[in-house]
Amino acid sequence: MVLTDPLGLGLATLPSRVVFGPHATNLGRRRGFSAAHATYYARRAEGGAGLIVTETASVHESDWPTECSPLAERSGEGWALIADACHRAGSVVIASLGHAGSQGSSSYSQGPLWAPSRVPEVNSHEVPLSIGDAEVNALIAGFRSAAQLAREAGLDGVEINAGQSSLLRQFASGLTNQRHDRYGEDRMLLTRQVIEAVREEIGDAIVGLRFCADELAPWAGITPETAVSLSTEFAETVDYLAVVRGSIYSAAATQPDLHEAPGFNIGITRSISEALKAVRGAAAPAVCLQGSIVDPTMAEQQVLEGVCDLVEMTRAQIADPDLVAKVRRGDASRVRPCLLCNQRCVVSDPRNPIVSCVVNPSAGHETADAHHDPDRSVAHVDAVPALVIGGGVAGMEAARSLARRGHDTRLVEASGRLGGTLLDAMEIPGRSRLGLLLGWLAAELDHEGVTVEMNRHIGVGDLEAFNGPVVAAIGAMDAPTTLRDGDDGSVVMLSAADVIAGRSSVADGEGAVVILDPIGGPIGVGVAEILAGDGPVALVTPDLIVGSQLAMSGDLVAANARLAGRGVEIVAHSEVVAVRNGAATIQDRYTGAMREIQTRGIVDAGHRLPRTTDLAEAEGLVFVGDAVAPRSIYEAILEGRRVSSDAVTQHHALEALR
Amino acid sequence: MSSAGRYEMLFTPLELGPVLVKNRSVFSAHLTNYAEDGMPSAQHVAYYEARARGGAGLIITEEHSTHPTDWPYEKLIHGFNPAVLPGYRAITDAVHRHGTPIFAQINHNGGQASGLYSRLAVWAPSPVADPLFREVPKAVDLAEIAEIVESYADVAARCIEGGFDGVELQCSHSSIVRGFLSPATNKRTDAYGGSLENRARLLMEIIEAVRSAIGPGVALGVRLCGDELIDGGTTLDEAVAVAIMVEATGRVDYINTSIGVATASLFMVEASMAVKPGYSLFIPSAIRAEVDLPVVAVGRFKDPLQADRALTEGHCDLVGMVRAQIADPDFMIKARSEHADDIRLCLSCNQECVGRMGLNRWLGCIENPRTGRESEPVALRPGPPRDVLVVGAGPAGLQAALAAARHGHRVSVVEASDEPGGQVRLAARVPGRAEFGDLVRNQLSELALLGVTVKTGTWVDATYVADHAPDVVVVATGSTPASPWWAPGEPDPTHPLLCDVRHVLDGTASPSGRVLVVDEMGFHHATSVAEVLADRGCDVEVASPSLVVGQDLGITLDMEQWWIRASAKGITQRSSALVTGLIPGGVSLQNVLTGEASEAFYDAVVLAIPADAADGLFHELVATGVEAHRVGDALAPRRAHSAVLDGEHVGLAL
Repeated sequence: MVLTDPLGLGLATLPSRVVFGPHATNLGRRRGFSAAHATYYARRAEGGAGLIVTETASVHESDWPTECSPLAERSGEGWALIADACHRAGSVVIASLGHAGSQGSSSYSQGPLWAPSRVPEVNSHEVPLSIGDAEVNALIAGFRSAAQLAREAGLDGVEINAGQSSLLRQFASGLTNQRHDRYGEDRMLLTRQVIEAVREEIGDAIVGLRFCADELAPWAGITPETAVSLSTEFAETVDYLAVVRGSIYSAAATQPDLHEAPGFNIGITRSISEALKAVRGAAAPAVCLQGSIVDPTMAEQQVLEGVCDLVEMTRAQIADPDLVAKVRRGDASRVRPCLLCNQRCVVSDPRNPIVSCVVNPSAGHETADAHHDPDRSVAHVDAVPALVIGGGVAGMEAARSLARRGHDTRLVEASGRLGGTLLDAMEIPGRSRLGLLLGWLAAELDHEGVTVEMNRHIGVGDLEAFNGPVVAAIGAMDAPTTLRDGDDGSVVMLSAADVIAGRSSVADGEGAVVILDPIGGPIGVGVAEILAGDGPVALVTPDLIVGSQLAMSGDLVAANARLAGRGVEIVAHSEVVAVRNGAATIQDRYTGAMREIQTRGIVDAGHRLPRTTDLAEAEGLVFVGDAVAPRSIYEAILEGRRVSSDAVTQHHALEALR
Repeated sequence: MSSAGRYEMLFTPLELGPVLVKNRSVFSAHLTNYAEDGMPSAQHVAYYEARARGGAGLIITEEHSTHPTDWPYEKLIHGFNPAVLPGYRAITDAVHRHGTPIFAQINHNGGQASGLYSRLAVWAPSPVADPLFREVPKAVDLAEIAEIVESYADVAARCIEGGFDGVELQCSHSSIVRGFLSPATNKRTDAYGGSLENRARLLMEIIEAVRSAIGPGVALGVRLCGDELIDGGTTLDEAVAVAIMVEATGRVDYINTSIGVATASLFMVEASMAVKPGYSLFIPSAIRAEVDLPVVAVGRFKDPLQADRALTEGHCDLVGMVRAQIADPDFMIKARSEHADDIRLCLSCNQECVGRMGLNRWLGCIENPRTGRESEPVALRPGPPRDVLVVGAGPAGLQAALAAARHGHRVSVVEASDEPGGQVRLAARVPGRAEFGDLVRNQLSELALLGVTVKTGTWVDATYVADHAPDVVVVATGSTPASPWWAPGEPDPTHPLLCDVRHVLDGTASPSGRVLVVDEMGFHHATSVAEVLADRGCDVEVASPSLVVGQDLGITLDMEQWWIRASAKGITQRSSALVTGLIPGGVSLQNVLTGEASEAFYDAVVLAIPADAADGLFHELVATGVEAHRVGDALAPRRAHSAVLDGEHVGLAL
């Protein structure tokens, strides 16, 4: 495949055309890169990534956008570790350099934000400082010295960030640049000056540009039409352009979740490729396609069609670091799929979560998880027969991991289908992509030789004859709906899971369907989307907004828009406290005020409970996933992996006692 | 001992078991987010030492986690990791240098956590998800309960080894012990659930194990929640009953108190200025009536008189004063030396202390730039004293004057209006926000001590500067109300009256009838003025293009109270609503979620939108070669803390 073929870029040769793009990781400490960073990038290098771009380092101390974001002047040591680790695996590795400008934070720097003009960022509302010549010069000097430091550390070059979150884009855009000086008259001037300075400093080393080609704000922003001509300004000076979209009004658009179909930048990227080739022919800079590209087949096709020369597959390689290696050896179908769920990989959040992945929890935790990452450690020691009870995500990963370690593994599922709760979750509108994980896990169980037995219930009595580690991955069950002030039974109560999966439905009749959503995640919103077509729907949330927990994945505003567009009534900061005579009594959490809504059905989208079981009485059994406490795919996979070593250890310990 | 003067009870020593405290003020446990990778830091050491030096009677550190399953926020001290010991010794040595005792609070947050950092299931009595963290916990089995008890004993012993004079068990607002005590979160049917005796069993086992581990020579305290303020939660009667049980063990030396649950009713745990001082005093009062152990009161104790009175009236034996000593580490020294007026009073604004905790940032203070930065040297520019002219007496100008004067410069402050204070003066005119005005009061009182006077009613222009010829000018001229993009040009008489929130507060505009307040700031500006106008009889609506009106009020724990007051005053709120223009008798709007356009009718529209920097003087001076620096809104219009920081940074660099 051409995707896995080498490509010359500047003086370097990339071992493949697949890019691991710059993204926040929260692996940094004290504004530098850490050893954990090196391990994280090296893992992708070992898997065949062609070009690795380290996370954006600030080129000036005025920029401290998130607590763990690196500062270039403190990054030399960390970059050197990363360069060494990635070069050993054969990848080319460069540093992303930038300044977040008004999209940063003053919380850490304790000083004003920098910007072309005093236009506040829409969420922080913070008015930035309109910078003068002194600051502009300091910024250019910052890019220059950061590039020099990156080269001294052994990196192969730099990528200049003029993408979604950058001061350079703020200068380039009419949305944020309202200056009357030369930087206002020629909004690309600053970007050109930065590139010139960097090029002068590092010569023939790689200089790339992350370039915003659509701010999705046509009234004043960069549009695809203007971007094509703007891009040619860099035809002579950069080695590649990475084409992205998004601005202060569309932060989530750069790395959208699974609601948006992959490949949304293909059109604009093709136009830019063509424009650059028209200007410079074969000497044109390479073009990198970005935008939810997670499928190797799609990536290959775009390269073949001339849309791009490089493909950024960042989330795909977080999910499966061995993506390139698998594609190269003809095993593309065995690439663990990225679900585009954004639940663990989008980490620009003040809590500083470490970058990770629901389908690959070892991402970001490469060192801590080394001993139970089934894709790394396949030690065949003391093979024993192993039994996994329950064929949901946790059970499937447990069985896969046990089998990878050489244990003779049997997976037993009580129902007729593998998948457990995920079978329901993938039925939520816009979330069918979650099902890719099930297909992959099932195929891997087959590859690893796991014996899968369906429609078989295992009780504690069945275990007496079994001598080997036993994993209980029996999942969760619906919790009873309890209302503080009582329920006279006049309204039908349904579980969200049953409604989503179509196992039960709300009868026609008078009044609204009332959804109880104490969580604020995808489930309550999803139930509302399913039901919104058939009569009035009211979603009751304890929060001020619906879907409060969707902020991290980038679906918060979109989810609110979907529900608003479909006429779902949001009953905010409230709780259903009783049901009487066909009506739900709803109390305002703040004022205590009560109101009633005529109701034809109540759907409980609340927390679930671990499934009750007599297996708890069995000795030496290890519970994983929702059977311990109902949580997400992440914990199911993580505990499924851990158990592959823990359950065997525990089994041997018990054996020793006997 | 009678040298205590005005605050006799506050300065009467007290024995807490084996530990003597020299006065009744407690710098009680609170999060700081100063830990790094689970370890105590130099930031901790200097922070606690500053309060010890400033006269705190007793310091109780933030919580130390007892077990790896407990990691609810990133910067929690991992007491369960033996590597904390050198950090413990650094803290206790520093505090002991000032003769101040220091206790460690130890805790397991139970179900009030998630697995985000630990990557483990959270532990709790029952699988009841916390309303903030929203993660179903694992109901602990008997072996795990034994493990928890043992972990408390281990960590308590480590604390004593690290030099602490005592240990406090946090069983109050975020704790697995609270989880067991509270009927709202304990649904067990075994020996640890059901009756109060059963629900308190874990606490009793922990007390026994901890006392056995630490021996009799150090203090042991228990902090209890007097009222969880949640449905089906612990209320005062049970809290008193538990206090009696705690005393009956004979193993405990004092009882500390709190109100609310950190994750469900946090706005009452660390109440802002919207809640009256002393609001939770009924809790220690009720407990003290039933037990002989010393009892600690907490809750918005701001000045020594208030603290002394609570003690004198017998409500409590000690007073927790956290925010008061965050704002002014020398609070107790100043109180004792009869200089109480010099105390930099806490505003209870919650902006940089409480507000930064929820955002995982290190603890600071809106009016004390040194808070959290005690371990860093003050960056002074060396050089001879200079003549400094500060133009503008808002918080930025006053702080610049303070920082410059403290370091020997000759400072004069000139203010155009008749009173100093800038926008802070306006902000403090709003009902329930008067304490915000203490920001400027505190600055002026310190300036007076430094001999700096503020000349009011004087407009400074380039000529004035040339005439007075200072060495350097600090331009703190603030900002002016801006015009919105959707209403350019001259006012149209058929349109609603258009004015800024400042015009309402300074009296230059008096909207009446049906009023729309436009919130593009997301903080107190719009909501405060909405309340003022509603109080005056206007029919008020607040609109914001954000998903929530006043979106940042939640950060300072003001959101709940705002909704309660707004509801009582008949103020309506319209979110996701972008005002796009004025029309005869009203405004045009766009719903930012659906794109739908609409019209709404008002007599007046009041704007809370970003202001324009008043930086004309600055540019004029720079152009003529005068050394000038901008601070506060004149640099970029932001919140008060930014103004204070700008002033401090520039004042120190002169």
